[in-house]
Amino acid sequence: MLEIKNLHVQLEEEDKQILKGVDLTVDAGKVHAIMGPNGSGKSTLSYVLSGRDGYEVTEGSATLEGEDLLEMEPEERAAAGMFLAFQYPVEIPGVGNMTFLRTAVNAQRKARGEEELSAAEFLKEVRAKAKSLKIDADMLKRPVNVGFSGGEKKRNEILQMAMLEPKMCIMDETDSGLDVDAMKLVAEGVNALRDAGRGFLVITHYQRLLDHIKPDVVHIMADGRIVKSGGPELALEVENNGYSDILAEVN
Amino acid sequence: MALPDVKQTATEARLAALTMPDAGCTQAARDDALARVLETGLPGRRDEYWKYTRPDTLVAAAAVPAAVFSDDEPLVFDEFDRLKIVFVDGVFSPEESDDLAMDGISIDRLEDICCKDIHWAKQLYGVLETRGQDPVARPLAALNTAFATDGVAIHVTGKPSKPINLIYRHESATSDAILHHVIRVESDAEATILETGPAASRFNKCLEIDIADSGTLHHVRAQGRDHERRAATHMFTRLGQESVYKSFTLTVNGVLTRNEQIIELTGNDAIAHVAGACVGDGDFHHDDTVFVTHDAVNCESRQVFKKVLRNGATGVFQGKILVKEGAQKTDGYQISQSLLLDGDSQFLAKPELEIYADDVACSHGSTSGAIDETALFYLRSRGVPTKDATNMLTLAFLAEAVDEIEDSALAEAIVSRLEGWLARRT
Amino acid sequence: MAALDQTQVKEGVDQETVDAVREVGTYKYGWDTDIEMEYAPKGVNPDIVRLISEKNEEPEWMTEWRLSAFQRWSGMDEPDWAMVHYPAIDFQDQYYYARPKSMEEKPKSLDEVDPKLLATYEKLGIPLKEQMILAGVEGAENAPAEGRKVAVDAVFDSVSVGTTFQAELKKAGVIFCSISEAIREHPELVKKYLGTVVPVSDNFYATLNSAVFSDGSFVYIPPGVRCPMELSTYFRINAENTGQFERTLIIADKGSYVSYLEGCTAPQRDTAQLHAAVVEIIVEEDAEVKYSTVQNWFPGDENGKGGIYNFVTKRADCRGDRSKVMWTQVETGSAVTWKYPSCILRGEESQGEFYSIAITNNYQQADTGTKMVHLGKNTKSRIVSKGISAGKAQNTYRGLVSMHPKAKDSRNYTQCDSLLIGGTCGAHTVPYIEVKNNSSRVEHEATTSKVDDDQLFYCRQRGMDEEEAVALVVNGFCKDVLQALPMEFAMEAQQLVAISLEGSVG
Repeated sequence: MLEIKNLHVQLEEEDKQILKGVDLTVDAGKVHAIMGPNGSGKSTLSYVLSGRDGYEVTEGSATLEGEDLLEMEPEERAAAGMFLAFQYPVEIPGVGNMTFLRTAVNAQRKARGEEELSAAEFLKEVRAKAKSLKIDADMLKRPVNVGFSGGEKKRNEILQMAMLEPKMCIMDETDSGLDVDAMKLVAEGVNALRDAGRGFLVITHYQRLLDHIKPDVVHIMADGRIVKSGGPELALEVENNGYSDILAEVN
Repeated sequence: MALPDVKQTATEARLAALTMPDAGCTQAARDDALARVLETGLPGRRDEYWKYTRPDTLVAAAAVPAAVFSDDEPLVFDEFDRLKIVFVDGVFSPEESDDLAMDGISIDRLEDICCKDIHWAKQLYGVLETRGQDPVARPLAALNTAFATDGVAIHVTGKPSKPINLIYRHESATSDAILHHVIRVESDAEATILETGPAASRFNKCLEIDIADSGTLHHVRAQGRDHERRAATHMFTRLGQESVYKSFTLTVNGVLTRNEQIIELTGNDAIAHVAGACVGDGDFHHDDTVFVTHDAVNCESRQVFKKVLRNGATGVFQGKILVKEGAQKTDGYQISQSLLLDGDSQFLAKPELEIYADDVACSHGSTSGAIDETALFYLRSRGVPTKDATNMLTLAFLAEAVDEIEDSALAEAIVSRLEGWLARRT
Repeated sequence: MAALDQTQVKEGVDQETVDAVREVGTYKYGWDTDIEMEYAPKGVNPDIVRLISEKNEEPEWMTEWRLSAFQRWSGMDEPDWAMVHYPAIDFQDQYYYARPKSMEEKPKSLDEVDPKLLATYEKLGIPLKEQMILAGVEGAENAPAEGRKVAVDAVFDSVSVGTTFQAELKKAGVIFCSISEAIREHPELVKKYLGTVVPVSDNFYATLNSAVFSDGSFVYIPPGVRCPMELSTYFRINAENTGQFERTLIIADKGSYVSYLEGCTAPQRDTAQLHAAVVEIIVEEDAEVKYSTVQNWFPGDENGKGGIYNFVTKRADCRGDRSKVMWTQVETGSAVTWKYPSCILRGEESQGEFYSIAITNNYQQADTGTKMVHLGKNTKSRIVSKGISAGKAQNTYRGLVSMHPKAKDSRNYTQCDSLLIGGTCGAHTVPYIEVKNNSSRVEHEATTSKVDDDQLFYCRQRGMDEEEAVALVVNGFCKDVLQALPMEFAMEAQQLVAISLEGSVG
């Protein structure tokens, strides 16, 4: 599904190399986790894959189901099935959450040549999905992420994910700023979306999220590279011993 | 275009009362400035730029006599170690001034720049003033360039160990002074200029400041407490790359003050802050007019003006941020606020933004109102007498402007002046 | 107003914006109607003024009123203080009177109106037929689509061509007719109020209007009456080289209420056309008037050719205690806009509100804002202005807040935000704040910024293209104002926001 080969990325504005050759393949139906210390390039990877400005790919490739992601505009990547759950979901004052969602859903459907959802169908679906994430009607009416608590923002990201039904979901530190209950709720939402056709890339600093979203593969990222990969036990190792042991071992 | 008759007559009358000094190398600049005055005429009551301040007494042929104010209070910065340059009724006083020699700086009297062949000063005189005439004419500044009788040229080449204090003493009730200074701050040089005193019954002062790349200039001014004086001052400042300019003005008393600051950010990453605190009581009209032009990338400008007014005092603020096309990443901020202590005072403001670049963050705010009754009550409920509580809140109101002074000792001197003023007045 | 005939329930009006963005084409109302016109000769002089008066069958006092205005205007200079630049207008090279020939004999009912004219309005989506009931399209899931009536007075070039729902309004005591009819039928009201809010000599354009206004709307709401439906005037300039000078007079007597809508369109032409209207509103004790405008005059093409020069004087006089007026405007059209709907807050506890969206693209120039003049005690005003500038356009907010010494305990809050799209346009803010008493509180805030990159990226990550994303974010930026509009207008306005910004991205 997602195939990243030898990806090198630097900042556009300063000559600083962030990713120094990332190789990663996520197959459909699998959950991959990327862990790593601060500044290792985890978030940069998520931004580059979703097409945020400010990064320059100097080498390597990234494809989604064989399509070259790096050549696409952000919205084309979204329509192709790429979804990024933001670490800091953006507030958009004045734009209703519902309006935002419907616009996004229909834009993607249209880009894929599918029929747009009617108001009634859309409403039915959004209500059902919102309910399971404990998102109340009020949150749907309020402007996008404005005045939302940390937990509400992250739940809102998951709701968008559920509505947009992407093929590849990247979750950038979705656990940051969440208490245990909120994290459980978010994880349940994610787990409900796990199926044979969908890949996940869960970026996290801590192991605790992975207690709730069980990964198939865990990668350790450091200094712009994936330095070690393994099963779920790798996450526990990090939890118990920190990153320093692994990094020492690799170096 | 011909001038309206009223303006023509007023301008001619004023010019008839003046004689251009024998100016040597500044002659061309003075002739040029005179031509500008003739073209635009002196400010009139109907000029948009003088909408809130009547220029009549500033442009009249003769100054209105002003009683010399005296009390025992020393000048604001008297206890500071500084280099004194004293003018009495607009005339340089070598006797009262310190020796002008100091490391990192050279100071000359304006009339000496020609014979001493001080190139930078000859080249700067009238230049920033001329640039500052567009897009808004400032005829009083042009008049100053043409007819200035004295002034100094200050060349900052290093980091002088103490501030330079320009002291303007007022001794004659009929004095009418026109002073013009030029200051050049070289790269990586840094200095502090202090100005104190009322200068004259009527004072027209022009200061041109050219700050080279990475230069820094601090300016702190206290305008003197004479009740009856009138002043029109202009400061034209041009900033090079990564240079810094910080200016603060305290005004208490004075029947009429118009302070104009014209700032041009021409080098990338430059910073300019101007601030003013004024406290006006009774027959007091104070006008801060600021025009900041961003003509480079990633510059920051800040305007903070606070006015406390009572017994019919009037406070005026006209501030503008102009961001030229291409001046991206501009950070422009402006706040003007007035605290009206009674029902007779007024605050008139025109805070403007004119922006031709999209990647900018510019904002202005302006408020006017009475003292916060809730806060006043809170203080009183804790046992603070009304008078002290009012003073406390007034000082708190002014603090944001005073905070713009970087040197904490200078800031304290200003605060203690304000405290004294408040204590005496209430 | 094309959206008016859509009757299906919408989930949220914002969707309209997005649909609108997808629509290809720019100015939707840019066609003209081939109708035989009757013109007065070009230029303006006392004879033309008399002719206009005569054509409207006006009494002598009205003719004199106009002539004295003309005399004053002859000695006045065009104002030059606004931040707008345009080639000098030759006031003698304009037609000051044009009307469809079919109107020579006033039609007795709408059935007698030239069908081409009616077709024009149909094309504009204006329901001239009385049975036409506009669908309420209140969004969200819970609002049922319920019928809503709007009475329309349509003004075509110089003359009013028909007013709907007259009978029903008459029953309520409301007078809603063309101003020319009001001058003939209700001279006592017109005499009493005309020119009392915007004096004949107020300004260059208002004075010209006073001399040559050809028609416009008149509204009188009697004491205690809540106008049973929204009133609307639709202005259309059709004839070439023709200035439109309409005059609107609205009187809300004690304790009454009316909501009034104004819409404007004009054909696409190479040469600029002049529009100089005057709107006067009198609000008596406890009365309330809402005045909403969607101004969509032709803005000129993408090279700045043609378009309407829009010089408008609008003012409301809150004479009575507790009277209230609310101006809401969406200005997306015109090549040049010069307009400051204002409130004189004379009555104690009177209130004025001004909500504005001004969008300029290509070579458009807008200098618009408001004046809030607080004269009475305990008066309140609120200003919310959103300016959006794209292309090579210049957008200026100009406003005055004045607290007079007697306006004790009054309040003003002003928020002016400007948004820039692209590095070749300009956004300017020129507020005047005059506070002459200390019990009043004035707060003014203004910001200028560009469309937020993070917001755009977020939208695009979720699949919207850049133009869609900009339209969405800009509509969000304008929300405070859009919410102040009546529903039909809000929908139209949202579409306009999107359409006006077409081609501004990239």
